[in-house]
Amino acid sequence: MDEDILTTLKILIIGESGVGKSSLLLRFTEDNFDPEQTLTIGVDFKTKKLNIDGSLVKLAIWDTAGQERFRTLTPSYYRDAQGAILVFDVSSYATFAKLEMWLNELETYSTKNDIVKMVVGNKIDVDKREVSREEAMRFAKRHHTLYIEASAKTKDGVQAAFEELVHKIIQTPNLWESYALNNIHLGSKDHPNQSSCAGYCSLV
Amino acid sequence: MNEEIDESEFYHQDFTTASEWEVFMARIEEIINQWRVDDKRNDSVTDVESIWDIKTEKLNFAEEQFYLYLYSKRINEDAALDDKGPKNPIDTLHDFELYDENHIEYHSCLSTWYGLDKFIVLSPVSNNGIVNESKIKVLLSSIYVVEGNLVTSENSIPLFVQIREKWQRLYLGVFASDVIRTNFEMVHLKKGLPYCNYLSGLLDLFKTKIASPCVLENIIVSAQLTYTLTEFGGFVWKQDLLQQNYDIESLFLLPFGVTVDPISSIILKATWNHLPDNLVLDSENYTDFDPTAAMNWSLLINSTNNPVCLMADAMTEFLQNLTNTSTIYDILGDFATLPSSENNPLDLLTEPAVPAISRLLTRTARQSLTRNKRSNPPLSETMLVPMLYFLFPDADEKSSFPYGREEREHTESLSQAQFKNLDEEFKGFKTCSSDSLIWRLSIILSHCLQSLGGLRAFAHVWYEFVQEMRYRWEKSMPIPGLSPGLPDLRTCLLNQKLQMLNCCIDRKIARENALVNFDSAENSSTDDEEFFDCSEKIVEEKAKEKLSLWNQPVGRLSKFGNLKLIKTGDPLYIPVTQEPVLKTEDQLEEDTDVLLQLGSNAEAMELRARIMSASLLSDMESFKAANPGSAIEDFIRWYSPRDWIEDEDKLDEWGQKAGHLSPRMLIEDNIWSEMWLSAKPVPAHRQKRLFDDTREAEKVLQFLDLRSVSQICELVIPVLSHAAIYRLMEECESLASDLAEFPAKLSNLIRKGEVLTRESKPQPRRFEGLIHEASALEMLVSQMNSLHYKLNPSRSANGEINDVVVALAMGKEVRVENKSKSDIGNRIVSMFGEAQRMSSLMAGEQFDEAGRGTVNNAFPVPTAKEFVLRTNAVKPAVYSAKCPQFMRAILSKEEFRLCGAWSEDTVFF
Ligand SMILES: Nc1nc2c(ncn2[C@@H]2O[C@H](COP(=O)(O)OP(=O)(O)OP(=O)(O)O)[C@@H](O)[C@H]2O)c(=O)[nH]1
Ligand SMILES: [Mg+2]
Repeated sequence: MDEDILTTLKILIIGESGVGKSSLLLRFTEDNFDPEQTLTIGVDFKTKKLNIDGSLVKLAIWDTAGQERFRTLTPSYYRDAQGAILVFDVSSYATFAKLEMWLNELETYSTKNDIVKMVVGNKIDVDKREVSREEAMRFAKRHHTLYIEASAKTKDGVQAAFEELVHKIIQTPNLWESYALNNIHLGSKDHPNQSSCAGYCSLV
Repeated sequence: MNEEIDESEFYHQDFTTASEWEVFMARIEEIINQWRVDDKRNDSVTDVESIWDIKTEKLNFAEEQFYLYLYSKRINEDAALDDKGPKNPIDTLHDFELYDENHIEYHSCLSTWYGLDKFIVLSPVSNNGIVNESKIKVLLSSIYVVEGNLVTSENSIPLFVQIREKWQRLYLGVFASDVIRTNFEMVHLKKGLPYCNYLSGLLDLFKTKIASPCVLENIIVSAQLTYTLTEFGGFVWKQDLLQQNYDIESLFLLPFGVTVDPISSIILKATWNHLPDNLVLDSENYTDFDPTAAMNWSLLINSTNNPVCLMADAMTEFLQNLTNTSTIYDILGDFATLPSSENNPLDLLTEPAVPAISRLLTRTARQSLTRNKRSNPPLSETMLVPMLYFLFPDADEKSSFPYGREEREHTESLSQAQFKNLDEEFKGFKTCSSDSLIWRLSIILSHCLQSLGGLRAFAHVWYEFVQEMRYRWEKSMPIPGLSPGLPDLRTCLLNQKLQMLNCCIDRKIARENALVNFDSAENSSTDDEEFFDCSEKIVEEKAKEKLSLWNQPVGRLSKFGNLKLIKTGDPLYIPVTQEPVLKTEDQLEEDTDVLLQLGSNAEAMELRARIMSASLLSDMESFKAANPGSAIEDFIRWYSPRDWIEDEDKLDEWGQKAGHLSPRMLIEDNIWSEMWLSAKPVPAHRQKRLFDDTREAEKVLQFLDLRSVSQICELVIPVLSHAAIYRLMEECESLASDLAEFPAKLSNLIRKGEVLTRESKPQPRRFEGLIHEASALEMLVSQMNSLHYKLNPSRSANGEINDVVVALAMGKEVRVENKSKSDIGNRIVSMFGEAQRMSSLMAGEQFDEAGRGTVNNAFPVPTAKEFVLRTNAVKPAVYSAKCPQFMRAILSKEEFRLCGAWSEDTVFF
């Protein structure tokens, strides 16, 4: 089975503490929801194989602690990630407001220029919503990221989020093939690939 | 002339290979017909760079492989429309075209000589060429037959075969239309025939060769004389290698330029176009061809072949040493010794208490004193000391090159340049900031490797550098020329290592200061090697009276809002905590590997959490120490407020909002509650250090100390590449001419450099490619500098000269408008004159003041002469139509070449 693996991708999950990063990861890798998920200390990771258009992609997903006290430790693990999932909690405006800070952190510490970014609004199962879909989508558009809404609890959007992200990475061969000479685009830090600009919303 | 082959001869030969021969010709016809079809479709847009559209097919004949080429010039639409119907391809006014290096292809000489825009060439694949006489005949007859078979009224194409040795560029060819046939013949000799050295003889030859039965009309003559200037006198432009007693300033920049003049010669071509033969005379005794009276002047340069480009050469040294696994100590031998842990007693004796200007000086002097007995240092003190002052300008208060000054100057001077902000262009480079410590180190190291003693000098500087790093750590002095802060993972590994060392030094200094304060305040002794020391002075609170002695709060930073401890109602204090753990990227990689190897099951998760919970435990212990009687709820309210859920409208006994832990904190036996239970109340300064700066600093020093030559090169190459491209950009900016290609070339280089610096290890192939491109640019910049220096020594602003320099540097021949009356023409004349004067002085000739005033004498004997003769002649019979006749004669030291094209009427003869 192993020979069929197209590539191994490193994906990061970042965002404020308690927004459900570990829960999203657990849902995706084990299709499980554990309300008794402990607060993540430092970083943790899980692996999963994903079938994308007939080819197998191995994912190493790094779940980082959102807790401020661990923040000096976690950026070290941003290195060489090809994709990043920025999670906020739709029922907490404060976690959404912090996204800008997380994006900055990512810009600063990720080593790949055209890392694919996805904003995930989690906990859409909760009744009292504080962040509207429109506002979140506007944010995603402004920062050229993908956007998807999900619930780790009800399973909605979780699989789609990861698949969409991996798709986008595969479409950016620079990220997963070894650097081909002449192939990297200067300044793409400031002007991300047009192709990754489209805000994406899964209507769940 | 042996190249002329009597047509009648080959028909009598016995062609035992006849059938193969027929197949061969059929194949040629087939290919040509296919090209014609393709041509009509007109869909071939291949290499748009070249003006030539070339099609190729391979074919075999008589155990020989051939290429058949179709050359067609890409002519712009307007010119093509001017063509009025079919015409013989040599019936033009073509004589001399301006040379352009970029338009040269292997067989394009046929176009240069005959003025053909489209032709087919049959050329052997092997480099031996076709030398066998009978083979030549067979091939020639083949193309005659093929051309004859393919005659059309509209688009016949001249067909050539290349014969004899390939370097001779010797071709025979034929062109046939329905009314005319033209034979292309060539003569190529090492030396010309005496009577052919002048126009008079060539005209005779031309007439004889035409052999028309009627009187010839006027012959149209074009002539070109070539003068070559190789002696530039005082206007030689070259850079020398650094010598032993170099200028200090030259150390601060990467070597740049070429060691010999990148222009080997300037060529002046004087041209006369289309004169009737009866109006010009050129014979052994007299000539009308005076270059000053020529109709046109044009210039061309010859580049020096493979000159040493200093910057590229310096980079190549690093490339070559990427495989050198010897250590610094191998190279330095007994000059250097591995550091021993015990201090040199001399250090303590002579070290001034306050760092002084002479600190470095005395130190290096002392070291060489102790070592002189063993062997001579690779770099003398007089060389080494200025280098160290350049790397560590903080050793001299009056240093003229402190860090962080250059940058400002640059941004000012380059504000209007193509590249608005150089540093912005290099944002993606994983190196260090420009003109920082490592930047300077890479420059010094490349000077050493290239010209100041090679590997031994290189090793010496590295050794001294590492010694200085150790010295700074031991003496708690910050390292200059590094951006402050934690090891920056966006910079190169060497930069991270030094930043790490600087952080260690900072913490050491802070610890030493704290120790002084602490001692004076409490008069207690602490073992500073074992325990973490907070820089805070510990202020004890009055509140401690309330508590028993063993339970006194320690290590408080500040109150945390109005929060009160849930059990006791005392204010909740934020504790002083340990400073974060620092890591460089190689250490992080190791950590990551450890985490990854654990796998991804539940136990692994647990284990990872434990591995990473050291700082959590430390924080809990500090918290407990600062807040006696606290509970985990108190800790969580400070540490992870989102895991404290307040109950609406409910106050506890202390008047603050009541609440409870989040579900995920309430899980039984979760790692947080377990750890809380095991945490002891210990203030940060009493805890075991999470980050042992002494150990980490020693690790960095060991890392630096034990690098092999190849490892040093790996560390330095990214920065060196950055500095080199930066230097190239500056050089391009400071050129008087703008080259349209520069931005694209530089951007390309920057892209390649960026990729190189981001690799975990610089790949030799990639670095080699980068060097290759950088050297081409270095050469180009040097050529342009050289040309400016020669053509415009006064450096006056002159747009015309700028354009000429650009064109020349790009390998183009350029017309000199107004000839000797233009600025450039004037400069050329005086340079030729100067060279003439010098050579006659050398030859000991008497310099005749009176007779040498005229421009005429400024020119030496031409190095080449070229004539083009044309006419129309009635051929082969008196009643035939007039057909174009053509001959070009090229006379130079290297060769004598005649290119003839003889036509005759094929309808009426
Ligand atoms: N209702 C609801 N609750 C969720 C959802 N996702 C996570 N949670 C809950 O939110 C809390 C925090 O989830 P975690 O996954 O631990 O959050 P985290 O982002 O990993 O937090 P840190 O590890 O501190 O960075 C848990 O109690 C989860 O049960 C969701 O989609 N819906
Ligand atoms: Mg978590």
